[in-house]
Amino acid sequence: MTWIDFVNLLINGLIEGLVVALPALAMTLVMGVNRFPNAATGDMMTTGAYAAVAVQLLGGWPLWAAALGSMVVTALVSAGSYTLIFRKLAGRPMVSSMLAAIGLGFLLRSLIGFFAGHDQRTFDLPLVRAWNFGGIRILPTDLAIAAVAAACLLVVFVLIYRTSFGRQLRAVADSADLARASGIRANGLMLSLWLLVGALSSLGGVLLGMKAVVSPEMGWESLIPAFAAMVLGGIGSPVGAVLGALLLCVAQELAVPLMGPSYKLVLSFVVLALVLLVRPAGIMGRVQLVR
Amino acid sequence: MQRRNFVKLGGAAAALQFLPSIGFSQQGEVFRIGSLTPITGAGSPYGPGMQQAIRLAVDEVNAAGGAGGRKLELFTEDDQTKPDAAVLAAKKLIEVNKVQAVLGTWASGVTLAVMPLTDAAGIIQMNVSGAPAISTLDTKDLVWRFQATNDRFGAAFAEICTKRGFKRPATMAFNNASGLGNVEGFTRVWEKRGGKVAAHVTYEPNRPSYRSELQKILATKPDVIVMGSYLPDTTIILREWFQSGADTKWIIPGWAANPDLVKALGAEVCEGIISVDTVSNEKSASYAQFDAAFTKATGKAASTNIYAAMAYDMVISLALAMEAAGPKATVEQVNAKMRDVSNAPGTAVFTFAEGKAQLAKKAKVNYEGASSKLDFDKAGDVTPDFGVFIIEKGQLVRRDVVSITL
Repeated sequence: MTWIDFVNLLINGLIEGLVVALPALAMTLVMGVNRFPNAATGDMMTTGAYAAVAVQLLGGWPLWAAALGSMVVTALVSAGSYTLIFRKLAGRPMVSSMLAAIGLGFLLRSLIGFFAGHDQRTFDLPLVRAWNFGGIRILPTDLAIAAVAAACLLVVFVLIYRTSFGRQLRAVADSADLARASGIRANGLMLSLWLLVGALSSLGGVLLGMKAVVSPEMGWESLIPAFAAMVLGGIGSPVGAVLGALLLCVAQELAVPLMGPSYKLVLSFVVLALVLLVRPAGIMGRVQLVR
Repeated sequence: MQRRNFVKLGGAAAALQFLPSIGFSQQGEVFRIGSLTPITGAGSPYGPGMQQAIRLAVDEVNAAGGAGGRKLELFTEDDQTKPDAAVLAAKKLIEVNKVQAVLGTWASGVTLAVMPLTDAAGIIQMNVSGAPAISTLDTKDLVWRFQATNDRFGAAFAEICTKRGFKRPATMAFNNASGLGNVEGFTRVWEKRGGKVAAHVTYEPNRPSYRSELQKILATKPDVIVMGSYLPDTTIILREWFQSGADTKWIIPGWAANPDLVKALGAEVCEGIISVDTVSNEKSASYAQFDAAFTKATGKAASTNIYAAMAYDMVISLALAMEAAGPKATVEQVNAKMRDVSNAPGTAVFTFAEGKAQLAKKAKVNYEGASSKLDFDKAGDVTPDFGVFIIEKGQLVRRDVVSITL
């Protein structure tokens, strides 16, 4: 191993981390505001990826346009699921919403499997050779993926920290009762949040599909990394989710020379355990005694 | 309906189900076969053809007057390519239909799940699965495998590497019994011949990227990479390999390097990939006859589904064993004759009718199957020939057929 190999691994980790960051952010937003782990996030990614494949197949659009179309579709599915399911469960314990989310995930996955089949699919995307900077290889596709993910994260952060929508969201996240008392109308706010979460997950699915292949199980399988990233970053903290995703993915890539590729996942969970031992609330989370 | 009536009716219905089987066993003139193939799920491209082939063979045996004085009776179920569904279906076949053999399981996971049931019931199990574990878990010698084990695939990879003059192979394997079986079989044979393997990489499933795995293996500068992989991971690995600009060759099992791979990656990436799959016993008379019957029944050539010929051979070799064991033989006695009628020495026969005629003359027969020469080893496994396909301009072109000896 030379330093060049390490740089390559670092680049892999950063790009994977940016892809994982999108669903992790989507999960942490719902967790912070609606107070339940949205287990359907992974299948929303799958929905987005398949919507993009469908748009490409039917309309022959370029991938960026198909991705925009799929974000609209998935945002609507997401907002619809809130209106029909999660809003009705709002007063119940966290477990009922979580179980409903798992059920919704199953439903989406089965519908996709039923209509699109279980064969793998790929986007219509030209293959380009990597740029080689003295051994440091960068794939143009990866660069595009990283740029899109980073831009998307930036937009979300501006929305959360610089707009009145974000201030209201944070107010509700802090204390729903106080927010209501100060005149924040929750309904429209929640719908916008779920539209945003759907669009985020969809983009995550498309980016994952660009790197890997599109299959009905793709999103479900990336749920655990996203969940781990959310916990590591501090539940409910948007910045934390992104940092957590980057940290986990970089750690597991850098573990390859040490323990080989078959066990790199283990190391990322060792990192998770260590951070939580030192800081139980996660990197950016606040320690809360009683909620 | 009142609950009491419902219980009575249900009890009566359950009792009725057992009546026909009691009748049959008293007459002792039917041998019941359960077809358990993947009609749905990942195996669905192959299962329906296998079921059709089993039906063709059953009809052929019955048309020749049955085997050992008995007609064959066929029950069919769908294993859904899922172990849980397969176990339910196998239980139904064994407990309700009282079958004496379960034929045609495809996925290794399915076969491994069904084996304990057939073993406990003391009946014959026939499959086309690859996992080496099936041989070691078959303690009662009731399990017969008509496809090459992953281990034998590995041995074929080694043979092909030697033939094509590769010097520095490396291996990449999906972390499960099938993937590891392929590359371990390869390594064993390759090292026995004095070769060295440059690197072994075992990878986890469902990763968005395999760049670090590729980086690790390409750093050892292999001239060919031998795979034990499936389609989705192979798609991702080859895409990243092509983008990185390296120029190694690839040897990949046929279930991963197939037209779907070319569709996903395009002809340029796939050019020159060596895809290896077993081939049927194409020059034999049994294959010619089966091909004609299969084409007539399904409109597709037998070469479109290599498992169909294997499923067909299951019934024919079983029927020959029944014929050799004689009338009223138990399942155990039939099972004991499987090697006698399939392995050398003996008069080579190519159809059930031929074999039946020879056995009537008290001659020893050696059934040469449609799928392979059909010689069962100690574990009940066969060794088919392997086709070497090269992907050229997006088409899989067969360039060679290799036989292996173990």
